[in-house]
Amino acid sequence: MRLGVVRGHVVLNPAVAAFHGKTLVVLEPVTMENLRAGNGLGGGKSLVAIDELGAAKGQMVAFTEGREAANPFWPNAVPVDAYCSLIVDSINIQP
Amino acid sequence: MFLARIGGTVVAAVKHPTLDGCRFLIAQRLEADGSAALEPIVVVDWLGAGSGATVLVSTDGDIARNRLGNTTPARMVVVGIVDQVQTRLSARQR
Repeated sequence: MRLGVVRGHVVLNPAVAAFHGKTLVVLEPVTMENLRAGNGLGGGKSLVAIDELGAAKGQMVAFTEGREAANPFWPNAVPVDAYCSLIVDSINIQP
Repeated sequence: MFLARIGGTVVAAVKHPTLDGCRFLIAQRLEADGSAALEPIVVVDWLGAGSGATVLVSTDGDIARNRLGNTTPARMVVVGIVDQVQTRLSARQR
């Protein structure tokens, strides 16, 4: 998984059937430097992921990419390659 | 698979149900010369890797699916804790 800050939500109209009723969030991956500083900045290349946990704007999530991102929808095949697996409560970084 | 250094831990109450009870570690992928990647990754660990440890991470989802269930989004898993990395060339190769 990678860490990303929620920057906004996406509404599709129209969309392929698999995306009906799904929440899409715009994520900005976080670099280690910004993570250590805890300044809420991202720094990575933005992407869109499916979010079923209800992450709000500004919250940090960990998202899965690749084939495993479609696992939660098993057994039906969905064209999803990024999925929010968890919402971060706190991160403890050793200096 | 790749080598990574553990940098810390992640606490998350709200997560995918199959990830309940999993241990999430912050890791940075290591290059051959030992330099760390700019972006951290979050890996699932059940071997008990401590902070500062060097681990081997696999992105094959099967081991995570076998352990956590078919619908788990987990992908990067610690498959081993590195004891030693041999980088010196042997006399013959030098």
